[in-house]
Amino acid sequence: MAGRRNRNRKKEEYFFDYTLLFIVLFLLGFGLVMLYSTSSYEAALDYGDSAYYLKKQLLSTALGIGCMIFVASRDYHVWEKFAVLGYIVAVVMILMVLSPLGHEVKGARRWLRVGPLSLQPAEIAKLAMILFLAVLVCKMGKGIRTWKGFGLAVGSAIPICLLIWQVTNNLSSAIIIGGIAVLMVFVAAPDYKRFIGLAAIVCAVAALAVFLIVNNAKAQSEAAAADGITQAEEGIQSDAGFRGDRIIAWLDPEKYASDEGFQTLQALYAIGSGNIFGKGLGRSMQKLGFLPEAQNDMIFSIICEELGLFGALSIMLLFIILIWRFMVIANNASDLFGALLVVGVLGHIAIQVILNIAVVTNTIPNTGISLPFISYGGTSILFLLSEIGLVLSVSKGIRLNDVG
Amino acid sequence: MSRTNRPNQQNRNNRGRNNVRNSRELERKRMSYESRYGATREPAPKGTKAKFTLKMQKKLAWLFILVLLAFVGLSIRLFEINKEDSQEYKKQVLSQQEYSSTVLPYKRGDIVDAKGTKLAYSEKVYNLVIDSSVMTSKQAYIEPTISALNTCFGIDSTEIRNYVTTNPKNRYYVVKKQLTYEEISPFLEMQNDEKNGSNIKGIWFEEEYKRVYPYGSLACDTIGFTSKDNIGTNGLEAYYSDVLNGINGREYGYLNDDSELERTTKSAVDGKTVVTSIDVNIQKIVEKYIKQFNDAHKGEYREGEEGSRNTGVIVMDPDTGNILAMASYPNFDLNNPQDLTAYYSEEEIQKMKDEGTYYDELQKYWRNFCIQDAFEPGSTAKAMTIAAGIDSGKLTGNEYYDCFGSLEIGGHNIHCHKTWGHGNLSVSGSLEQSCNVALMYMGNTIGKETFMKYLTNFNVGLKTNIDLAGEARTNNLIYNVEDMVSSDLAISTFGQGYKVTMIQLASAFCSIINGGYYYEPHVVTEIQNADGSTAEVIEPRVLKQTISTETSEKMRNYLNAVCVTGTGTTAVPAGYLIGGKTGTAETYPRKQGQYVVSFIGYAPADDPQVVVYVVVDRPNVADQPHSSFAQEIARGIFTEILPYMNIFRTEELTEEEKEELRQLQILNSVSENSVAEGEEAEESTEESEEEEENENMPDDYTYDEETGNIIDPLTGYQVDPDTMEYVDPSFSAVGDITGTPSENEQQETEENNTSFP
Repeated sequence: MAGRRNRNRKKEEYFFDYTLLFIVLFLLGFGLVMLYSTSSYEAALDYGDSAYYLKKQLLSTALGIGCMIFVASRDYHVWEKFAVLGYIVAVVMILMVLSPLGHEVKGARRWLRVGPLSLQPAEIAKLAMILFLAVLVCKMGKGIRTWKGFGLAVGSAIPICLLIWQVTNNLSSAIIIGGIAVLMVFVAAPDYKRFIGLAAIVCAVAALAVFLIVNNAKAQSEAAAADGITQAEEGIQSDAGFRGDRIIAWLDPEKYASDEGFQTLQALYAIGSGNIFGKGLGRSMQKLGFLPEAQNDMIFSIICEELGLFGALSIMLLFIILIWRFMVIANNASDLFGALLVVGVLGHIAIQVILNIAVVTNTIPNTGISLPFISYGGTSILFLLSEIGLVLSVSKGIRLNDVG
Repeated sequence: MSRTNRPNQQNRNNRGRNNVRNSRELERKRMSYESRYGATREPAPKGTKAKFTLKMQKKLAWLFILVLLAFVGLSIRLFEINKEDSQEYKKQVLSQQEYSSTVLPYKRGDIVDAKGTKLAYSEKVYNLVIDSSVMTSKQAYIEPTISALNTCFGIDSTEIRNYVTTNPKNRYYVVKKQLTYEEISPFLEMQNDEKNGSNIKGIWFEEEYKRVYPYGSLACDTIGFTSKDNIGTNGLEAYYSDVLNGINGREYGYLNDDSELERTTKSAVDGKTVVTSIDVNIQKIVEKYIKQFNDAHKGEYREGEEGSRNTGVIVMDPDTGNILAMASYPNFDLNNPQDLTAYYSEEEIQKMKDEGTYYDELQKYWRNFCIQDAFEPGSTAKAMTIAAGIDSGKLTGNEYYDCFGSLEIGGHNIHCHKTWGHGNLSVSGSLEQSCNVALMYMGNTIGKETFMKYLTNFNVGLKTNIDLAGEARTNNLIYNVEDMVSSDLAISTFGQGYKVTMIQLASAFCSIINGGYYYEPHVVTEIQNADGSTAEVIEPRVLKQTISTETSEKMRNYLNAVCVTGTGTTAVPAGYLIGGKTGTAETYPRKQGQYVVSFIGYAPADDPQVVVYVVVDRPNVADQPHSSFAQEIARGIFTEILPYMNIFRTEELTEEEKEELRQLQILNSVSENSVAEGEEAEESTEESEEEEENENMPDDYTYDEETGNIIDPLTGYQVDPDTMEYVDPSFSAVGDITGTPSENEQQETEENNTSFP
């Protein structure tokens, strides 16, 4: 015992998680290769430059790595005082989407544009939420155990979630942010019952919603049939808007192959045609204009098609290792704030990976969620790498001697 | 890494026994952990002194397990998709690929005349197609594209903008059809412009072929036209539609041995070229004289009508059955066959359209009078009657008949056209004077069986099988031998009571004067592959011998006499001897003053090389029954085509005739003596044509006055004036097949052949 102490005093060895860094860099590299593979055809068609998406992504990746290094080299406690400011900035930025700076892509107004730069406020909000909650939980201390504390912590996410949902009409990002908040509070609070209860309520609400929408659609189709219009002619039009349509298409994508179910079905075709080892890198057929957003939300299905189950499972394994590293770092973090930051990032990445793969495999209704590090998207990669920077910063705070 | 594993290991251990182990032990561990290491920690910044407790670690472990479970679940889902639907999905992916196979249109073959001049060809044209989904994929594309469309094609901007915004997903909207390459090239340039063209998107050009008839209405009834998708309507276009059409190519994907998709192109097979015996120059001459007649008599008697109900002309080579020209009037523009504005006002057309009679009216104009309409031939048929009599031996040619203006047969008093009678006539004289009474006597001698046998031999009542679509059936329009009474035979001898088509009579007449050989009339002489090589040569086809060669010679003498002393003198062109027969047939119902007047003649008289048959159906004049209307047309045609066909003049020209020929530019202004005239007149036509060529010739080529060749001054090689390509003198025969040399050049290349053995 005493010997150990002496050693500690002699040399202060600090930990740096190279495994994590390696996995992140590998995923980035792999992502760029896959991005080029999936997007080159459409990029050449639309922009006359097959590397159009690749170039843009390379730029934001480089920028992101810069951010990561910057954040990792700073003590993460520096960011503590920006928590409230970050929260406010996120809210303002979301609201700014409504201003003339707001930018619409494919009918969704989710971007802010200043000159050549465009930003998705939802991505900023995710980071802001993680930081804010980590600080809040630390401030509360044992208060988190009370209903009040619990309510305050989870409730702090609700304004941002609502704003993202309603202002930018981006339910998936709202769900992710809500999920991050719940996971962080789940880890921080000692209680289980509340969360089991919460999960049960969420499941029940979701099931009820699906049930109502399906019933509604059935009634409509019967009414339409009575009017002599077949459903195919009319397409799906439920009262619940496009989300309702997506839920109906989710249950039977082949029936709505030409409209709402199209993307999902094309993704399934891609996955199903890949087999064990796939068609080979660059040999996807679905990316040739058949699968919409192939380089974006649907990139995982192209991975399945080109690299097969083997490639897909390898990528999933890498994400598992990544999440495991997060857990290790959180467990060994020198303080609760650092640990909670890491848990937030863990939650963020885990939720996105799971939901993305679930969408691609039609396990849940179609909603736009990108695959971290691999999907095309500048803001996403920039803030993900900043979060990794935070985690690396936390990992640096671990003194090896502590761990023993 | 192994070092950082420790707490995690601990965690896992905890997990293993979690439910059994009570929290007390955990708490104890935590306490000892903290007491051991807590003191060594650096003082954390204010407010974050809290630790990540073991309890939290445990919960994090739970979270990790949940994530793992989710991943396992998703992996199973991936397996499922691959296992259950793999084959079906693979097929789906491949079948989607194949949808993109595209048709490559073939080019329909040309129709060319005997000299290779194109009468009909297919030109590549472009349909302008808007792909809204591409155009609207970026806001920046829409306006530049619309303005480019406006400047290049004058397309209304607002219209396109409306269409694109209301149908943003439509990928195929044809805005303009059948644009030529010249019309679309400014747009293509604009689109390919690096700077400004990058935002012009969503426009593409669909290739298609359009049928073009460079001579418009020339030989319209004979050539015919095509409707959509290369389906021939009327004439050659319909008869040879299958030959002219090629096979569409296709660009498609298929699966190779490794089940990989490969794309391949099966190029289109272009259609074959049809070479006709029609000569554009002869056709032009024919149509010129038809038009002249029509213009002279348009609206003369029946107000608002053309010069005749129909005017048809066939020019034929009696020794092959080849059709050199075939025309009928009224005609129409092949490039715009649905348009009758040349004959009717807009209101009249609209009225017909409203009443639904417009299509019937169009059909009248599209009809080829020469092969589709049957009529009573009148006196031109007398040649067949006499030929039948002499060939059967029933007549010797030495008989004489008395004509008193009419003859009573079978209770009918049948008149001759000369009501006071022709008096005493020989066989030859009765043909010369076209005496009906004498012919009725002859008919009586020949008998109805022999007469009808010969008529059938001359193919009357049978199809000639000319290679044009829509030839009329006439088998019900002639008498049946059993039912024929004496008066029927009597009127049949002079071409009344039964009906023929022009092509039937012309073909039969050819056999009467060419030694008795009945050739199947034909328009097409050769079929060529798209590359110009010969696919099939259609040789003249003798079907039968109608009369003996001796009878034919006798008939020629009789027919020659018709044009010397008989009724056919009006048709004789200056400087030539011809033979022929006039015809004036009263139409049914009789006694209405309605006549079909005709003339069929041949030249030269001693060695027939060309037959011209002119029929004027009900000329628009007060006094119809005069074959001179037809004869005048025939004379004009003979006057111009005989020199063109290199048939030399044999007769002296009067001053009047010389003046006429000078006006037609057949004769030089310098007066010549009669024997040399022929050749020199020949030369003069050649020269005038050469001069024309000379004008069209590019300046940098020199023109050899002696041979008429065009020489490239740089190389000294002869140049083909049509294609401006070198003609290799040693292979000049090739020019006949590939190029389109006019007759002059053909002669010249022959000359060259002798000088370059």
